[in-house]
Amino acid sequence: MYRRDLLRTALAGAALGALGPASRAYAATDILWMTWENLAKDDYLAPFFAANDVALTKTFIGTDDEQFAKLRAGGASSVDLITPGLDKVEFYTASDLLQPIDFDKVPNAALLYDTFKKTPLGKVDGETYGIPFYWGINPIVYRADLMDEEPDWSVFFEGDKYNGKLAMRDYALEGIMIAAMYLGIPESEMFDLDDAQLAEVKKVLMIQKSKLRTYWNSIGDLTNLFATGEVVCAFSWVPPYYDLRAKGIDMGMAKPKEGVIGWCDTIAVPKGVEGERLDATFKLVDYLLGPDYGKMLAVGGPYAQSTSAARDMLSAEEQEKIFISDLSIMDSFVWKKNPPRYNEWVALWNEVKAS
Amino acid sequence: MRGLPGQIGTWLAMPVVAALVALCLAPLLILLAYSFFQVDFVAISRDPTFANYVKIAGSETYRGLIARAFGSALLVVAITAVIGYPVAWFIAKRVTGAKSTLLTLLLVPLYSGDLVRIFAWRVLLGAEGAINRTLMWLGLTTEPLAGLLFSPLATHIALTYNYLPFMVIGLWLAFESLDDAWLEAAADLGAPAADRFRRVTLPLTSPGLIAGGLMVFVMVAGDYLTPQLLGGASGITIISAVNDLFGTAFDWPLGSAIAWTMLAILMLCFGAGALAIRRTALVSEGV
Repeated sequence: MYRRDLLRTALAGAALGALGPASRAYAATDILWMTWENLAKDDYLAPFFAANDVALTKTFIGTDDEQFAKLRAGGASSVDLITPGLDKVEFYTASDLLQPIDFDKVPNAALLYDTFKKTPLGKVDGETYGIPFYWGINPIVYRADLMDEEPDWSVFFEGDKYNGKLAMRDYALEGIMIAAMYLGIPESEMFDLDDAQLAEVKKVLMIQKSKLRTYWNSIGDLTNLFATGEVVCAFSWVPPYYDLRAKGIDMGMAKPKEGVIGWCDTIAVPKGVEGERLDATFKLVDYLLGPDYGKMLAVGGPYAQSTSAARDMLSAEEQEKIFISDLSIMDSFVWKKNPPRYNEWVALWNEVKAS
Repeated sequence: MRGLPGQIGTWLAMPVVAALVALCLAPLLILLAYSFFQVDFVAISRDPTFANYVKIAGSETYRGLIARAFGSALLVVAITAVIGYPVAWFIAKRVTGAKSTLLTLLLVPLYSGDLVRIFAWRVLLGAEGAINRTLMWLGLTTEPLAGLLFSPLATHIALTYNYLPFMVIGLWLAFESLDDAWLEAAADLGAPAADRFRRVTLPLTSPGLIAGGLMVFVMVAGDYLTPQLLGGASGITIISAVNDLFGTAFDWPLGSAIAWTMLAILMLCFGAGALAIRRTALVSEGV
């Protein structure tokens, strides 16, 4: 009897389990979002699902390039929403992979900060293809307990006090931008370096390499290197600063006066998304630019949304954390752009690393 | 009637052959085709050209990285051979009851995954790692040896550790099939131990050495995670450069050309290895 009961219960459970998602799938519009894992947390999205009959499938990306490679290789037809960097949208539009944003369906876009309204990036012929979504800076993060003073970019190129204790992100675009800022090359020329400027950049990058402990590829790995004291100072993302401070390590974050690299990711809709899926996608886009999501991203990230929707809901400390207490700071950022000679930049970066 | 089992075998093999062609050969041929194309921003021009191969031949960076990959692979093959030879001999010729246990133990580290092993080496070799702490505790050093981690030394230690089992397995199989009567006959004929090793043991186990060596060679040449995570600022490999070209630079044609250059060199190595195994097999058969 016991065995029969058990089987009956198991079968009933299996049937219910099978019916649950199926009935939901029939009722809801299914959309697929290709994004970074930290942006699609269930609690961030819960209010959206409570208000809309939409089912979401998430595909996580490891790098922006990987996302582009997937779409370029023919994956666009199955994806409804992607998350390219503002500087990378040009890759997608040149490949004819995106459709313009329908602003009538995204009312929260009216709250975009001026910097993002005005940016020419993500646009073609006046149409927006990648709508700024969230943004931040990539500063210098350092072990304040192991360094005498706040560093600037020169720490990677001058002196020998911290030789073998520094780390740099293994990324040609930012690596060369930093060298250009150190050399005093103005932002207007930074992304269009001529041969002489590239030669100068290469020279200082060779000096930099001799001072590095390593080039880092994952932010989790860099956090470990800080924690173990292998690295005392790195061109970094923000998370190690907060994560290690929370663990009691005296960390510092420096924003060099020569310029700080600002980044912004967009949300973009691939060509071919239409009908109910397109409507559901734009509803999600509007939610992602709205106050509920913005507050949770600011507190949980901590990252800043590209709109002011949640700004007034945040405390002064929370605003400070995501650099929106004084919005004029955005004007001092050097926003990443795609250099026309980027292949040569990558080749130069590899030459330096292989030297 | 005699041909029927053979025909059935052929038909049964067809799905495997089809899968191999579709999943292995076809992508390689597509890669080969791409290697003759050119890229202009995100557009790929399909006019065939040798420009990518000319670029590789003319680039000190790519030539150097390819040479470094094969040099590193040869070094690890040599180290694993020196360590693996006595280990394989011991398991094959001196262990009787616990042979399968020892072989399983040899493979246990492989179950843990690449990243786990790499981070385990970081724990051992780091500034606050076990080795540095022990050296300082013994008073042999006053401060941590920075060169232990994030250096070619760290990379090669981990590569040797990672791929040693593949060398031992190849050699163990060769030692298992080595008939001790050959060695006894050589000893009876008055050959000293060094000659018995040089003229009997080494030639008869060389197919295992070559097979194990080729496996290690290919895997080391293609490993980019270990150099990247343990090699420090000098951890770039030709494979990570290909990764940059496919990802960051969207230069699929140049990436494909480098991949095929590597593949061609590996195929040459395999051809030479197969030839050497065939020659030693003929010699051992007394031909």
